[in-house]
Amino acid sequence: MTAVNSAPPPVLQLDHVARRRAGRVAVQDLNLALAPGQVLGLLGVNGAGKSTTLSMIAGALRPDQGTIHLNGEDFLERPELARRLIGWLPERAPVWPELSVAEHLAAHGRLRGLGGAALRETCEAMLARLELQPLARRLAGMLSQGQRQRLGLACALLHRPAVLVLDEPANALDPVQITALRALIREQAAAGTAVILSTHVLVEVTAVCDRVAILHEGRLHHDGPVRADDHAALERRFFEIAMHGATAAARAA
Amino acid sequence: MTLLAMLRLETRRLCVQPLAWVLLALSLAWLGWCFTRLLGEFLAGEIQRAAQADGPGYVDLVAVPLLGQLAQLAFLMVPLLGMSTLAGERRNGTLPLLFAAGVPASRIVLGKYLAMLLWLLLWLLLTLAMPLALAHATAPDWGKLAAATLGIVLMLAALAALTLAASAFTAHPAIAAAVALLLGLALWTVNLGAQMAGIDDGAINWLAMSTHEQNLLRGLVSTTDILWFVLLIAVCLALATRRLAAEKERG
Repeated sequence: MTAVNSAPPPVLQLDHVARRRAGRVAVQDLNLALAPGQVLGLLGVNGAGKSTTLSMIAGALRPDQGTIHLNGEDFLERPELARRLIGWLPERAPVWPELSVAEHLAAHGRLRGLGGAALRETCEAMLARLELQPLARRLAGMLSQGQRQRLGLACALLHRPAVLVLDEPANALDPVQITALRALIREQAAAGTAVILSTHVLVEVTAVCDRVAILHEGRLHHDGPVRADDHAALERRFFEIAMHGATAAARAA
Repeated sequence: MTLLAMLRLETRRLCVQPLAWVLLALSLAWLGWCFTRLLGEFLAGEIQRAAQADGPGYVDLVAVPLLGQLAQLAFLMVPLLGMSTLAGERRNGTLPLLFAAGVPASRIVLGKYLAMLLWLLLWLLLTLAMPLALAHATAPDWGKLAAATLGIVLMLAALAALTLAASAFTAHPAIAAAVALLLGLALWTVNLGAQMAGIDDGAINWLAMSTHEQNLLRGLVSTTDILWFVLLIAVCLALATRRLAAEKERG
């Protein structure tokens, strides 16, 4: 009798991904896999390669080397997979300032292939879920950074993506909104969405993630499970990696 | 589907831009004044022209000169209208959002181009409405008017493509507008220097936009002239698409 592997196949898989940016190596030889419903925290100091990694996963940037598979399909060969499978909240949540919040959601929905009554219903649901209803008619350019983050999040969730990519989503959110954000992430994970979350805040990872990956100078230095009561251990590991990198750089200089 | 979504997004963004409405209102006010002036001159010379069997008519003296005025305004209007199309996206940081939505560079460019074109066609239609409103009282040369309108449509389409290409290479809308204005004027006058120096070379005349536009405004429709505009549009759109695709590669 053959043993049956019960682990679900990864919805996202990165193999030997590398990317140079602004003349330097931003990400090198990165291997990552993410199963449905898993929440991965991506940690690293500034310039570690987190945003570059997330941009590649979101389809906004092509890797120089390596492959990315989404639901077993080659994402680099079929970039249009991003349309229905990926939801991305980039850092600082860019918006079209001349459009209202409701128009924003509708435009994102149409770009992702939604239309008609389904689009209207989904937009309404997202406005309600992210507490954006009072701001529906406000121009996106007039929103505060926290409100823009929520709008960006609504746009990322609109088409019910299989992979949710969040680049520092708690930026500019108040403590109440951060708690709501954590609940939303857990809710998405429970519904089977794989979430990858980049942050500088370690407590964010222990609060919401199942797994943590630590990047330093573009390389993956740690990839393992995380427990809510394990904050001290994670902090120790993070600083070890960050300081080791700094020491090595000082030695090289 | 994504092309339609892009077109809708861009049309909406143009419609809520105060600059687009201000430009439309100011240019239409100027063209309206030009129309009344041209009409006044046309009416003043009506008795003299009655003696000529084959003299210039309403289209030659009112409609085509009015379209000529629109063509002159277009050199400034189109770059101002289209300067933010891609440069603004880059400055806002929204271009990666379009890439991440799986929209190919060609559709981003085409969607933006078609939206701009729709706006410019509205501008042309509102301008044409002035001479057409009085057309029933005259005997217009419809063929000549159609050729002139085609010429203006092609010119607007070419300037829009040029602006889009300029906008694809910078993150500063003002630079995009300046480059598009200079390139447009250079294309219009490329043969002027040679003509002033007494050189009437066929090749340099062929390069100039004025050669092709003036033929169409005179009512002469030729494949060569249409092809010139189509080639310019295709080259500009291809350049813009290539620049965007390279941006996704380079980051």
